[in-house]
Amino acid sequence: MTAAVRFRDLTLGYDRHPAVHHLSGAVADGALLALVGPNGAGKTTLLKGIVGLLSPLSGAIDRNPSAREVAYLPQIAEIDRSFPITVYDLVAMGLWRRAGAVGRIGKSERELVERALATVGLEGFEDRAIGTLSGGQMQRALFARLLLQDAKLILLDEPFASLDAGTVADLLELIRRWHAERRTVVAVLHDYDLVRDRFPEALLLARSPVAWGPTAEVLRPENLLRARRMCEAFDTHAAVCDENAA
Amino acid sequence: MLTRRLLLAAVLAVAATPAAAQAKLPIVATFSILGDFVKNVGGDRVALVTLVGPDGDAHVYSATPSDAKHVTDARIVFTNGLGFEGWMERLIRASGTKASIVVTTRGVRTRKMAGEPGHGHNEIDPHAWQSVANAKIYVANVLEALVKADPEGKSEYEANARVYLGKLDALEKDIKEAVARIPPARRKVITSHDAFGYFEGAYGIDFIAPQGVSTENDASAKDVARIIRQIKAQKIPAVFLENVSDPRLVRRIADETGARIGGTLFSDALSGVQGPAATYLDMMRHNLRQFAEALMS
Amino acid sequence: MYDLLFAPFAEFEFMRRAIVGMLALSLGAAPIGVFLMLRRMSLTGDAMQHAILPGAALGFLVAGFNLFAMTIGGIIAGCAVAIGAGVVARTTELKEDASLAAFYLVSLALGVLIVSLRGSNVDLLHILFGSVLALDDATLILISAFATVTLAALAVAWRPLVLECVDPNFLRSVSRAGAPVHIGFLALVVLNLVGGFHALGTLLAVGIMMLPAVAARFWATDLTRMVVIAVVVAFASGFGGLLLSYHLAAPSGPAIILVAGLIYLISLAFGPVGGLRRRFAPGRHLEA
Repeated sequence: MTAAVRFRDLTLGYDRHPAVHHLSGAVADGALLALVGPNGAGKTTLLKGIVGLLSPLSGAIDRNPSAREVAYLPQIAEIDRSFPITVYDLVAMGLWRRAGAVGRIGKSERELVERALATVGLEGFEDRAIGTLSGGQMQRALFARLLLQDAKLILLDEPFASLDAGTVADLLELIRRWHAERRTVVAVLHDYDLVRDRFPEALLLARSPVAWGPTAEVLRPENLLRARRMCEAFDTHAAVCDENAA
Repeated sequence: MLTRRLLLAAVLAVAATPAAAQAKLPIVATFSILGDFVKNVGGDRVALVTLVGPDGDAHVYSATPSDAKHVTDARIVFTNGLGFEGWMERLIRASGTKASIVVTTRGVRTRKMAGEPGHGHNEIDPHAWQSVANAKIYVANVLEALVKADPEGKSEYEANARVYLGKLDALEKDIKEAVARIPPARRKVITSHDAFGYFEGAYGIDFIAPQGVSTENDASAKDVARIIRQIKAQKIPAVFLENVSDPRLVRRIADETGARIGGTLFSDALSGVQGPAATYLDMMRHNLRQFAEALMS
Repeated sequence: MYDLLFAPFAEFEFMRRAIVGMLALSLGAAPIGVFLMLRRMSLTGDAMQHAILPGAALGFLVAGFNLFAMTIGGIIAGCAVAIGAGVVARTTELKEDASLAAFYLVSLALGVLIVSLRGSNVDLLHILFGSVLALDDATLILISAFATVTLAALAVAWRPLVLECVDPNFLRSVSRAGAPVHIGFLALVVLNLVGGFHALGTLLAVGIMMLPAVAARFWATDLTRMVVIAVVVAFASGFGGLLLSYHLAAPSGPAIILVAGLIYLISLAFGPVGGLRRRFAPGRHLEA
């Protein structure tokens, strides 16, 4: 079984304070993995590390898919909503891999965009300015973009925050489709019921890994408790970490 | 008896010697061109102080306390008159000088100003020196004043004046010849200097004021259009527009009208010693050269 | 009507050159201005006229009152400041505006120092800045060339540039074009500004870059349309301003900018996108 991503004693952090502390393991190719843990557990940090936005403080990440084959949906998309482009323009950016910086976006591409928008329930929204979208609509549009990216590894950071149930259901359907297409999906989630329901595999992180495996095992109450305790240990006066003690 | 007379004679002789070896005649001239005339006539017998030095602007000069002192100590103060040194009257009064004030333009046949901003219509043009004939009158007045104040130097002054007048004559001849060589239809220039009225009257070159474009940084299209029309209509061959601050604009005007751009002109003051117009003769010759170069085809 | 609008251009070559110069400036600077405005970098033009001083001063030290040397020096200094600021903004916490402010202030101080070394109290920048009424062949060719380069570069880099403005993280994740496009854009800004200063003076160069862009904001929701409107507004300002300068003897640069300003005010008041009239008197609402 090939790994999409392998962590080798990985420590990621900011300003020498570890946010992810000595993580080892592998995300299998085609996995559908939920990344869970209390606030401040390092989940966003881990995703950023996989994408390549952060360099490890120690250890390494081996990522199989190349940069172009990774799609990343950040927690707070730093998109300039006031920029005067349409939903079509925004979603069409997902075709970058096909069209590049100057390639033609012609009729067949246009159809792809329209189909993606329809899939996420935004048909007819092509010519709307992105500034006119609600939070949920923007999230759908970003999912449409993800669709077009046709990526092998998809990383989602709290994709369902503040979305209504209908939207969540639709987007979950998409994720299921991706999993069926053998794409690797890693999603940071807070709703444990949803995780138990839809995600076969989970990684419980509290800076250091607490549990990693089938969801039912990982989400046992004792693990959750332990995770919560570990998370609250940020120390401004921490000593330098001795690896063997971890 | 004889001894007492001898003694008296000796005392008188001793008393007279300092008088004979007396310091030079202290003179003040208001500005550089005038100072040049005075220097040429007075020679070594005068100690000359010029108030407005080379490249200075006598129209807007502010006198300093040391100026006042020089004026107080002077025996003669030479002025241009004709309204050129508006500040002079106050300075003379403030200094309380006993010097004789000589207006060197006495006897000059005056002209009216062409009507420039700052000088207005119907004012008398003070730049009389621009005609060499007038310069000779200046020199005559200077000579007369010097002789009156210092009779002993009469022969020296007269000799100096004679030599200088000869040079002025040669200058006048040169100017007339040079102008004659310029085709009559081309004897006009545009210049923002308003000081060449007497030159125009004496030698026949038309000095035309530019309509509009002046020292402002940001000209308007209307100004530029007006001056181009003017140059084209009057077929003016050369423009002397050094005080327009944008040389590219001058070049554009020249390109569009076919006019030549002339060099720097000196009208109200001499240049520094290193410059091309350090004396009156140099100044006139330099200006003449600029005109000739610009106006000859 | 002909006399009012077209006769001045028919009669005078300097007017024809002026309008051609305005066309070139509009085509080059206005699109750049739209992007600057959207990236919240609207004051860059002002900062840049100070930032170019050390370059111009060095050019002056080397070659005297040689416009060419001083302009080249200005471009190099401007690029150094713009690109330096851009790189710092990309690699540290500092945002673009703070980064640029720091760089241009240091640059200005350096320039003043260099000028003072020469001893004379020469107002260098004054000489560096031209006038729209005084465009000779070389200058016209220069700004036309800059406009052409700008348009070509924008055409090629349109998509990455837009993405860089809207969602830079996404761009970073799909392409490495982000940094070169960002830096290239800043270089284009400098080129248009310094070329504009050289040909037309600072007020005109910066004003035509920013005012039409700001006015266009009130007329368009789509970027392409916004750019087109900005170009049209810029050219119209040039046309109107030159006529004002011709018929009413107004100084040329300020006249053009005032026309642009007037268009801006009208846009602010009546523009369909976010204009004041819509805000205070929205009219009846729509069905959906």
